[in-house]
Amino acid sequence: MTMKAKSLEDLLKSAGNPVQMLRNSQIGAYVYPVVPSEYSNWRDEQVAWQKTAVLYDQSHHMVEQYVEGKDALKLFTHLGTNSFANFPVNRAKQLAPCSYSGHVIGDGILFHLETNKLVFVGRAPAANWIQFHAETGDFKVKTRKDDRSPGNPKGSAVVRRNYRFQIQGPNAWKVIEKLNRGPVPEVKFFHLGVMRIGKRKVRTLRHGMAGAPGLEVWGPYAEREEIREAIIEAGRDFGLKQVGSRAYATNTLESGWIPSPLPAIYTDERMKDYRKWLPAASYEGTGSIGGSFNSSNIEDYYMTPYELGYGPFVKFDHDFIGRQALERIAGKPHRRKVTLAWNAEDVVKAFRSMLEQGDPYKYIDMPLSNYTSASYDKLTAGGKPVGFSMFAGYSYNERSYLSLAVVDPDIQFGNEVKLLWGEEGGGTKKTTVERHRQVEIRAIVSPVPYAKQAQASYHQGWRSKAAA
Amino acid sequence: MKSLEDVIQAAAVKGESAVDLLRHSQTGPNVYPGVPPEFTNWRDEQQAWQKTCVLFNLSFHMADLLVEGPDAVKLLSQLGINSFKNLALDRAKQFVPCSHDGHVIGDVILFPLAADRFNLVGRIPALEWVQFHAKSGAYDVKLELDERSAARKDPFNRKSYRFQIQGPNAMKVMEKVLGRQAPQIKFFHLCGMTIAGRPVGGLRHGMVGQPGFELFGPYAEGEAVREAIVRAGEEFGLRQVGGRAYSSNTLESGWIPSPLPAVYSGEKMKPYRQWLGADSYAARASIGGSFVSKNIEDYYLTPWDMGYGSFIDDEHDFIGREALQKMAKGPHRKKVTLALEDTDVLRAIGSQLGKNERAKFMEFPSAVYSMHPFDKVVAGGRTVGVSTWIGYSSNERKMLTLAVLDAEHAEPGTEVVFVWGEENGGTRKPMVERHQQVEIRAIVSPVPYVEAVRKTYTDRGWRKAAVT
Repeated sequence: MTMKAKSLEDLLKSAGNPVQMLRNSQIGAYVYPVVPSEYSNWRDEQVAWQKTAVLYDQSHHMVEQYVEGKDALKLFTHLGTNSFANFPVNRAKQLAPCSYSGHVIGDGILFHLETNKLVFVGRAPAANWIQFHAETGDFKVKTRKDDRSPGNPKGSAVVRRNYRFQIQGPNAWKVIEKLNRGPVPEVKFFHLGVMRIGKRKVRTLRHGMAGAPGLEVWGPYAEREEIREAIIEAGRDFGLKQVGSRAYATNTLESGWIPSPLPAIYTDERMKDYRKWLPAASYEGTGSIGGSFNSSNIEDYYMTPYELGYGPFVKFDHDFIGRQALERIAGKPHRRKVTLAWNAEDVVKAFRSMLEQGDPYKYIDMPLSNYTSASYDKLTAGGKPVGFSMFAGYSYNERSYLSLAVVDPDIQFGNEVKLLWGEEGGGTKKTTVERHRQVEIRAIVSPVPYAKQAQASYHQGWRSKAAA
Repeated sequence: MKSLEDVIQAAAVKGESAVDLLRHSQTGPNVYPGVPPEFTNWRDEQQAWQKTCVLFNLSFHMADLLVEGPDAVKLLSQLGINSFKNLALDRAKQFVPCSHDGHVIGDVILFPLAADRFNLVGRIPALEWVQFHAKSGAYDVKLELDERSAARKDPFNRKSYRFQIQGPNAMKVMEKVLGRQAPQIKFFHLCGMTIAGRPVGGLRHGMVGQPGFELFGPYAEGEAVREAIVRAGEEFGLRQVGGRAYSSNTLESGWIPSPLPAVYSGEKMKPYRQWLGADSYAARASIGGSFVSKNIEDYYLTPWDMGYGSFIDDEHDFIGREALQKMAKGPHRKKVTLALEDTDVLRAIGSQLGKNERAKFMEFPSAVYSMHPFDKVVAGGRTVGVSTWIGYSSNERKMLTLAVLDAEHAEPGTEVVFVWGEENGGTRKPMVERHQQVEIRAIVSPVPYVEAVRKTYTDRGWRKAAVT
């Protein structure tokens, strides 16, 4: 006898309020798995991505969702807010599919690998949404999912389909040309190409960080150490450092991508079939919400593409899920993505409480301060709520705690807002939460991306548009 | 280069001493392997060992050496400063070998398994010293080394698991998991038990003044035993302790984990250095901190420094005996806890957020950044000792260090200055970012620091001896 696995919908029925369920999730920290926490030390690893070159190992923390078949593009057109009018093979795009109500489900990178063969790489929620429609919709496609690596493998061998590395930083191109033993044709941002590493030809995605061109490379997982060694060897003269999992997660504080919106799937009758399809043990069923923003309505945690800085991608040149809802709000003022630079005195005040008796303020870990899969800290200005802080940590480069936030349209760069750090009533029951008090941290509203170098030189895509 | 001696000679040719080798060691971060950094969060994990109970997983970071044969006792007694007269099958002992000059090589726990069969468990230097003598001397013994996970190709294929249940509720958890009262045996005595249907070896241990047990058995049975303990511990607030909190527990209990093996100098130690490999622990070890001397011997510790003076048994012949006899009348330094001044600690932390030079990053909860921390402790402008371990205790709400000080400065309440960070911007160790040294005032305090331990330890071991 086989029992049908419990679905997310079943779980929500028994759990009551989904906000309470997720804010008290017992899943623990959101782990960046397998990669060592530090290769040298996270300070120097952060410095390297601004000053020299880095090797990111992205082989483990993301899901790969393959879609193959004659309707593959049709499926993504149906789900993507983006235009697919100009999306030939060897291009990639950031895909942020939305719910019927026009709220973001998740986002990641969609690679057009071959005719009728695409792969989405990112966190689980968007991958699950893609798989659901591929399996249940009227599309002639086959799917294959390669899940992220386990958080604590306890000695079991970890096998992914692909290794996935990025070579980034101001010296990245020198490392790349040394590896290729000659010039690499300078392709445009988010275009795919090939290069030589050792005796292999590997596929590349033109990427970039802090304003300097870089590449993402991938290939069969079994070849990962050979490729890694070649990159490290080529990087020796250019100050290349491998980045461990502690520093890795913080690079986005400087580049400005918010990795962790809550998937907008817990409500709405139109989403019910999806909730019945999603297992209770999925990311969506087990993940956690943390922070000072506490609403009994889970829809208050949903984000529109405009708020996350994906407005420039939304194109009404095709039919897609969420189109009607987005058309209604397209021309209206939106909250927007900013960087918050935290007040140093207030941060030190939080640390001081650790040396005093009584409940301390919520611990602010270095360099990544998130303690949950989706962070929502309340922002106020003049006592009024003005948005959320959604991803926090320390940048050794910028000598400051920074967070990525979404704020009301009338909040200007240079304004001071107050971030309420910690949870109410001593804290929720999440395992990552010790008993604590909340503390207000002043923060200056700043552009995104924050890094000055990046502000000056990003030339394309949401980063520059959001900052402009 | 084949041996440690070759490595030292090669450095000497370049004008570098053993101190230079170790202080600029390129060995990366010393990771506590096999367990996640945090099971829940390190604050609550620390508090559990004082308030409820914890499960430490010691299965991965120490090596085991089985010593077996008619001459096993002879071999061990010729190396240990300890008496072997009272050797009994139901008692473990701390085994402390010294160099010919009377300096500590390491300290490990000796478990008698039979009259001619012993298991030594701990850091590798003491075990290698035993191996060397077993192989080069005229002893009828067989050895079997089971390396620590970090030094193996198969890190999760250890011979034994090793757990500790500690904290005020430890005995309640033991009773629950055993289904009967825990064996009533004295500190460091051994017994056999059954957990989850598996035979389990037990060592009566204790921490923060409360009785506890160390448990061991075949590695393959570890998961079943661990699961049974975790289940039994649920109602008693048992927490599993992750890698981040683990290494900070000794700050409260007062054991110095990191004496530098006294093997780098002395003609009599030369054959040993020629036997030790060029990639041995001793050759790859790192020294970190503000204490700088050209003479490696200034980094060696005596048994008295570590609180082991009372172990020295003059009645038997052992390596180092003559030297220790000469040292016996003193003066001896004393092991103490340093409670760092809050304001100065906060200034170091706050420097990460300012425009000026930054202090060495002070990690929470363990701020140790080398395998052998040696920080200078100063009074009246003079170096009066060294600090060997540092970290934060959320139980004591203090940044604490374990130090060895000249007796006249070791009185509780004395104010000294602890120098944090390395000279001239820092050594070349990968764990060291460029930084500026800072002075931190500190109050000399008893060891162990925790009030409860001082009052209730009942054994005659070093913990008690150190405070009386």
